[in-house]
Amino acid sequence: MSITEYFNFVVVRTEAMYNIVQNEGHGSFWMVLFIGIVFGAIIQYTRVDKFEKIAGFAMGKDTIIPKMLFLAIGITSIFLYFEIKMGYASYHPKPMMVSGLIIGGIIFGIGMAIMGKCPGTGPISIAEGRIDVAVGAIGGIFGGYFFTRFYDSFFQALMGVNYGKTTLVDVSGDYAMVFVLAFGIALILIAILIPKMELFDNADLSNLDHDDRPDTIAKKENETFTTIK
Amino acid sequence: MKRRLSWWMGGILMSILLLFTFSVLGADRPIGASTYVPYYAGILFGMDPQEYTYLQKIEKPGAWEGVMLLGVFIGGFITSVFITKTFRLTIVPTGWKVYKNNSVKSRLLWSFFSGFLLIVGARLAGGCTSGHFLSGMSQTAFSSMIFGGVVLVTLLVTGRFFYSKEEIK
Repeated sequence: MSITEYFNFVVVRTEAMYNIVQNEGHGSFWMVLFIGIVFGAIIQYTRVDKFEKIAGFAMGKDTIIPKMLFLAIGITSIFLYFEIKMGYASYHPKPMMVSGLIIGGIIFGIGMAIMGKCPGTGPISIAEGRIDVAVGAIGGIFGGYFFTRFYDSFFQALMGVNYGKTTLVDVSGDYAMVFVLAFGIALILIAILIPKMELFDNADLSNLDHDDRPDTIAKKENETFTTIK
Repeated sequence: MKRRLSWWMGGILMSILLLFTFSVLGADRPIGASTYVPYYAGILFGMDPQEYTYLQKIEKPGAWEGVMLLGVFIGGFITSVFITKTFRLTIVPTGWKVYKNNSVKSRLLWSFFSGFLLIVGARLAGGCTSGHFLSGMSQTAFSSMIFGGVVLVTLLVTGRFFYSKEEIK
């Protein structure tokens, strides 16, 4: 492929990306972009894309990630159930391919602990100037290439048998509402009960006024935290 | 203006966004954030979708996430510059310096390697923190609960052995 051909290929594929989204019926281009902007803003504003939050959780020094994650899942699971009952949405669960889930989960967990990012928080960190994460993204692009290249010959078989798209709602039948409420409330309680620990990065807070700094606030409220320099 | 959102406020806002995205008013689908990587890889490596079954499989979700992630990038940039004031160019995270080492080379090599692992792992499992944890567990999907359990354990074990417990001097 010559450089001109390559350039044309990239342009054609990028246009295709726009057209697919625009015509797919899962929100217009601008709607999807809007969802992304809000997603990025929420994560950045809570600072859960930070190395000290994700790797800090892996080290057992920060618990903001599980608290926020479980709270969000708990609330969403309850309201989503009713949203679907009222006909405004539907379930799109992922298939149960047990060996893929377990092997993939292990590889993903190792990568997440070392990188201190996941694929959704990575772009946010790049947007705020983290060069190491940009290098990680290049690694990720190679990972994506590797997976696509060897999908037929290797990875598809490794993912194993598909046991279907089972959810708690499917298996609990008439009692689905009770089970979903119990599931959601349990997750919300877990989120509240996990002891709050924070690992602050001084460099991250240095542009803030003394009283705006979260570690100053945490100190006032007698919370468990560490500030590293 | 508050410079940081609390975890509970972030959790509530994230729920609202997820519920909106699931609804027919939003996108009538879950949020996911790892399919876009092989999709972008397909574009950047000049891979013809006709030749790769996986590219055909992810043609639609990959494009959707590809657009969404452009938004994520913009959103993160705006809040980092105007609200949290955390935009700056850095290479080695403070936490890495304090609990691992002070080497740029070490951080970049590990970043590349772990970025590779993240995407291979996420694609094997069919989702990541967004697709499995946030969207999948909200739908009470058993697949996502398995993934969630495995990731939590592996994350904590890796963190325990990869980093030093005390600050290194």
